[in-house]
Order: sequence, then C-alpha cells, then structure tokens
Amino acid sequence: MSPDGIRSSHSSTPGSGAPGSGSQVEVDVLAAMRKPGALYWFLLLVCGSLFMVGMALWAYQMTRGMGVAGITHPVGWGVYITNFVFWVGIAHSGTLISAVLFLFRAGFRRSFNRSAEAMTVFAVMTAGLFPLIHLGRSWYFFWLFPYPTQRLLWTNFKSPLMWDVFAVSTYFTVSAVFFFIGMVPDLAIVKRFSSGVRKWFYSALSLGWKGSQVQWKHYNQLYMFLASFATPLVVSVHSVVSWDFAMSIVPGWHTTIFAPYFVAGAIFSGTAMVITLVVPMRRILKLERYITIDHFESIAKILLFTSLIVTYAYIVEYGLAFYSGSVYEIGIFKYRTFGHYRFYYYGMLLFNALVPMTLFVRSLRRNLPYLFILSILVNIGMYLERFVIIVSSLAKEYSPYAWGTYKPTMVEVGITLGSFGFFFTMFLLFTKLLPVLSVTEIKEESH
Amino acid sequence: MSERFVFERKEEFLEKLREIVRSGVPEKRITVLSPYPVHEVDEILPSAPSGVRVFALLGAVAGLVTGFVFTIYTVKVWPLISGGKPLVSIPAFLIIAFELAILFGSLLSFIGFLHFSRLPDVNRIVSSEEFENMFEIRIEAEER
Repeated sequence: MSPDGIRSSHSSTPGSGAPGSGSQVEVDVLAAMRKPGALYWFLLLVCGSLFMVGMALWAYQMTRGMGVAGITHPVGWGVYITNFVFWVGIAHSGTLISAVLFLFRAGFRRSFNRSAEAMTVFAVMTAGLFPLIHLGRSWYFFWLFPYPTQRLLWTNFKSPLMWDVFAVSTYFTVSAVFFFIGMVPDLAIVKRFSSGVRKWFYSALSLGWKGSQVQWKHYNQLYMFLASFATPLVVSVHSVVSWDFAMSIVPGWHTTIFAPYFVAGAIFSGTAMVITLVVPMRRILKLERYITIDHFESIAKILLFTSLIVTYAYIVEYGLAFYSGSVYEIGIFKYRTFGHYRFYYYGMLLFNALVPMTLFVRSLRRNLPYLFILSILVNIGMYLERFVIIVSSLAKEYSPYAWGTYKPTMVEVGITLGSFGFFFTMFLLFTKLLPVLSVTEIKEESH
Repeated sequence: MSERFVFERKEEFLEKLREIVRSGVPEKRITVLSPYPVHEVDEILPSAPSGVRVFALLGAVAGLVTGFVFTIYTVKVWPLISGGKPLVSIPAFLIIAFELAILFGSLLSFIGFLHFSRLPDVNRIVSSEEFENMFEIRIEAEER
C-alpha cells in the first residue's frame, strides 16, 4: 500500500485483502458469531427443552380439549390472553428503539437497535401463537382471515378481534422487513468474514449488497420511510390490543384510558426486556466497548419515564371508576384492591410503580446488576398487571350468581413457560447467526 | 479504460472524488462504493431524490383505499347487522384501512428500494467480490 492511502489504481483485480481482514468494529462484533461455548449450548438446551414441553402440552390440549385449561365460565380469558398481551407488549419497545429513536436521532439507539428489533420479531411470533392456542381447535385459525368462501360470508370487521388480526399481522410483517433491511449491509460484511456454505448463505441474504452511492441513497430513504410507518403502527397495535378489552362493556375494561395506558405499559415492559437481554449479551459476547454504561443510563431513563406514565394510568383508572357512579365499576376496583387477586395487584404496584422510582438516583441507573434485577422485576410486574386486568375484571362481573375465580392449570403454566422457551431459543439463535450490533451504523458514527 | 481508486480514509477519498469531478469526468461514469453512507458524496455528485418516496405514497394510498373498499364491499354483499351497528361503520373500518395503509406502504417502499438499487443482484451474490471496509471510486470507460 502506498503511503498516500491509495491501495491500487488503474487495476481491475478485486481489491480484497485476506479473508477475515477488517476494521476493529467488524472483528469485535463478528467475534460474537464464532463457535459457541458450553454455556451457550447449555442455555440453548434449557430453552429448547422448555419450548418442546410447551409444544407437547399444546398437542395434549388439542387432543383432550380445552377442559385441560382452567379457563371456564365466568373467566373465559386467562393466561393465554395474558401471554398474548404480554408478548405483544414486549415487542413494542423494539420498534420504539429502532424507529422512534431513529427519527429523534438518539445516538444511543445504535447499541440496542439490532437486539431490540430481533426481540420485536420474536416476541410478535410468540404472541401470535397464543390466539391459536386459545382457540382450542387451532386448525381452524384461518377462519380469522377474510377470504372468499362458498357461503359468501365475510369476517366481522366491526369486531376488535378482527382489528387485532390486521394490526398484529401488519406489525409482524413491517417489523420483519425493518429488521431485515437494517441488516443487509452488515450481512454483506458477514459474508466477507465467512467461508464455505456460510458464505453462500450470507451472500444470498445480503442480496448482493455492494454499497454504491445509489444503493445508499435509496437505502436511507427506505429506512426513513419504514421508521415513519412503524412509529404510528406501534402506537396503533397496542391501542388495538387494548380495545379488545375496552370495546366491551365489562367493568374494569370499559375505559377510554386503556389505549394510552397499554401503549405506555408495552414500551415499559419491552424496555425492561431489552435490558434483561442486553446486559448478559454484552457480557458474554464481550461488547463492553460498544454498549456503554451511558447507553444503559439513557435506556433506564426511558424505563423510568414510562413507569411514571403507567403509575399515572393506575391512579386515573381509580378516578374514572370513582366518578363513574356505576356500582359495578366501583365494585370491580374494590375487588381488585381487596379481593382474591389482591396480592398480584400489590405486586404489580410494587414492581411497576414503586421500585422503578429508584431510577431517579443516578448511581442506580448506572449500576448494571441493579438494572438487570430491576428489569426482571418489571417484567414480572407487567405480567401481573395484564393478569390482574384480564382475570379480576371477568371474575366478578354483574350477577353474583355468575361470579367465580380462576386458577391456571399445569397445562396453561407449561405452555406459558414454553413460550418463554421459544422466545429465548430464538434470541440465542439470533446472537450466533446474525450480527448483534449494527456494524455499519457504528462505523458511520465513529468517523 | 476503466479506472479504480481505493482509499482507507474518508477524507482522501472525498478529496480525490472532488478532483475527479473538477477534472470534468461526467458524473454518469463515476460509481462510488463506501462502507457506510457518506453525505458529502451527495453534495459532490448531486442526484435526484430517491424514487422510493413515490412507492411509499402509492402504497399507503392503495392500502387506505383497499381497506375501505374491502370492508364496505363485504358488508354490502352480505348485509348482516352485527352488534346493532350500522352496516357501514366508518370508524371501525378506519382501523383496518389504517393498518393496510401502513402494511402496503411499507411493503411497496421495500419493493421500490429493491427496484431502484437493483437488488437482489444475482451476479454479485455469486461473485467473489466483497463489500469492503474501503472507499472506492470507479470510473467506467468512455463509450467509443
């Protein structure tokens, strides 16, 4: 190489160096994709087995019927629907970090966006399983989609459940495209570092990206548009999920605050899940140089902010019930506070409203073990929140003769754990098969 | 004869690019490859705004229209009152139309991107050429 930096001119041979040559960022990030160690295989085995157990239980439920699940009159929506809402919620912060923070030009998103986008795609996949599991006769799931039939009968577009079909499938498609397109230049880098079958695989996945000025121009434009489409989408999806409840007249569900309340809660729980995933990932894959404590502090502030919104919504809910003048509405909130499910309710208040307040302290925002534990508590709290909203409202509706309580059976618990197994299996596969940080964006920023 | 310049540093690459443009080489013949988008290149080699935006608009409008036409058509073709609501319930159908606007808009933008940037590029996929961590200027040979 000549001293003026020009490596070759007037030549037509490809100017590639030895395979594996690359900048420090490339080497560091792609090192994470090397052959995994024993810990990785162990985790994969645990998560994969959990998933398999969940699948087996689903098969059991399909052969024996819905009686094996605890959902019955009056609580027809139990942990399956709780799981659905929980996983859709987890998905939300992925889009927030990749799309909304992109539009706001927040630099720290670079450390989290790839894992958050992956998390979004996997969480929506997990969420999508639950309506099918809940159906009982899961093989009739296609009845949910509007398709021309011999009977000329169409689906009911006035039903919030139909809106959900459209919202969640749109969300899955758009976040998958967003996840993929953000990765295309990085996949071309991975191609350079790999050999054999892997090279072919990544070459095809990268679509033959070469990084010409024309490609970058259209790429940037597309990225901007996808971010702009995803931002209203993310707000709409959890609003639609909340309307599954709020459009009904069930006391405890029928409130106008549900849409913003659910959206904030979704971003809150999703941000917690990002922290849960990225803290160990950063440590195990040795990415400390790229994901810094400052970045974690920024994301902890999002957690704190959304926690405050959620806390506010908890208070407003009581206000709405109090001023409604409806005995049923007031009754359900008394039941929530003092009834069968009160400990879940107190847990949700503790984990979602009180404990995150500690993030006002700067040193705690910058303490990774603390953040990790807090994020798990928040996830538990948010799960409890969905459970309390869904189950406690149904358990004590109008007529005392129709009251009842609900307890999940082992099948439901097993399928729930299986969904966690599926999600973490997918994430583990992601960390080894795809670049976990956006190499291109890190390079762009460091110049 | 086609020429090829490869640089490790962005500043040198930009300097050379400016020099080439100043020396009167037509912009059509210049191809620039870079490991990440370089905004200065857009200033040196000005080009029309990306056509992806047209695709985005068309997709979004198509989705919105499809959403309304489809929902209204289905309630008209089998008029079954449900939930005591009017057959054509615009607020409810707006949600379907909104989601389809986003879905079609995103997908069509993606297709537009593939179209304009000539992807997937099969020749490139099978070739041994790599997406290097280098800045490269290629000048194509003049047509004779």
